[in-house]
Amino acid sequence: MKRPAALQELIAELQKLPGIGQKTAERLSFYLLRGTKERAQRLARAVEGLKEKIVLCSQCHGIADKDPCDICSDPNRNAAQICVVEEPHDVYVFESLGEYKGLYHVLMGVISPLDGVGPQDLTVDHLKSKVEENPAREIILATNPDMEGESTAVYIARVLKPLGAKVTRIARGLPVGGDIEYADPVTLKKSLEGRGPA
Amino acid sequence: MALFKTRAIVLKSINLSETDKLTTFYTESFGKVKCVAKAARRIKSRFGAALEPLSFINLIYFGKENQELYRLNHCDIIASFQSVRENLEKLYTAVYFLELMDVTVREGDRQTQLFQFFLSALHCVERQGRLETLIRVFELRLLALLGYSPSLGQCVVCRKEPMNGWIGFSCFKGGIVCPICIDQNPQEIRFQKGTLNYLKKLLSSDLKILERLKFPRTVEEELEYITHRMILSHVGRELKSYPFIKLMAEIDAPILEDAKNGQTGN
Ligand SMILES: [Zn+2]
Ligand SMILES: [Zn+2]
Repeated sequence: MKRPAALQELIAELQKLPGIGQKTAERLSFYLLRGTKERAQRLARAVEGLKEKIVLCSQCHGIADKDPCDICSDPNRNAAQICVVEEPHDVYVFESLGEYKGLYHVLMGVISPLDGVGPQDLTVDHLKSKVEENPAREIILATNPDMEGESTAVYIARVLKPLGAKVTRIARGLPVGGDIEYADPVTLKKSLEGRGPA
Repeated sequence: MALFKTRAIVLKSINLSETDKLTTFYTESFGKVKCVAKAARRIKSRFGAALEPLSFINLIYFGKENQELYRLNHCDIIASFQSVRENLEKLYTAVYFLELMDVTVREGDRQTQLFQFFLSALHCVERQGRLETLIRVFELRLLALLGYSPSLGQCVVCRKEPMNGWIGFSCFKGGIVCPICIDQNPQEIRFQKGTLNYLKKLLSSDLKILERLKFPRTVEEELEYITHRMILSHVGRELKSYPFIKLMAEIDAPILEDAKNGQTGN
């Protein structure tokens, strides 16, 4: 027997999401069907709001409720530090620490030749103009420590240093809870280079 | 199930799921191989930096012979080419070599000689200052090792030795063509006969002495045109990483100036 069209449509849409297969999509759909109308509507509104209410901050390229975002418009944040990250969600990773008090700049990706992404596809020019406005800022490069993230960091440092900016890179090394015996030589070397006072 | 053990160079790694990676290797003993690396994306992964593109590693993987995907079992780094990663022109030259290997070599093609050549080319990227010649040699010799060595001795159509003056080159016919046999085909390249000797030199010189070879600027441009056209004709399209080499060479330039004033090397 064929399922009702509305149910079939929901299953098909859910299945397009990452990590959700046929079985999970069916289970979630039947779960929503069994629940109250209000619950289903809340979910529908939340999904809709995602595209309608969220904007990109024109200053940091992060996602926000308003432009400029809460971080960029907060006078208590330290404007002398800019933490450069790959994606909007990286901002929340750093913010969840509650430690960092500076501003952010989201690159919207990394330089990746095989994906056809070059520096001109990122927000590097905007970052450059921020440094030109105020060269005394510290630019903290917090891209991932993989080949693409590393090369993007090298690229940005090359572009910003001639402007007189202080460019720093987040330390790379051993993960907390890791074991020196099992660390690979590259990570171990980086952790020695990036050591700090004990 | 069999266990395979070999040295390998990582060509590329893509994310397969939240936790796993799919990594393509060029191995010394088994040619091009693809493996699934379970839990490689976790920050505490036991594979660490070994799965980053360009890493030269000891690799152990398992699976049924001749299957498409193997399971990664173990890898440890022999060389990570760290200094290449810190210089953008060098890095993207190496990335171009990785991409070329990935698109031109088929799985199942086993050639220890090709592995040796590939590995020494990467060592040359690390050690040599002038990458232009190295890129030309890599393009030309890779095609030769894959069985597409251009015929440079005589016209591929009439088999006569080339006269002085200009000669043609046909990627499609795989070698030089004399002015009489050349098609009025825009695909065919023309160059001065003198360039032919440089082309022969590229095909036969040891990678390690490349830096000592000096080419006039005009010859260098002709050589780039010829060898890169051969690649384009073989692959059927431009390689994604190729434009990045020149783009990054411009960015790197001022830093190299600084290095000259400071210490030697690089
Ligand atoms: Zn903002
Ligand atoms: Zn002829």
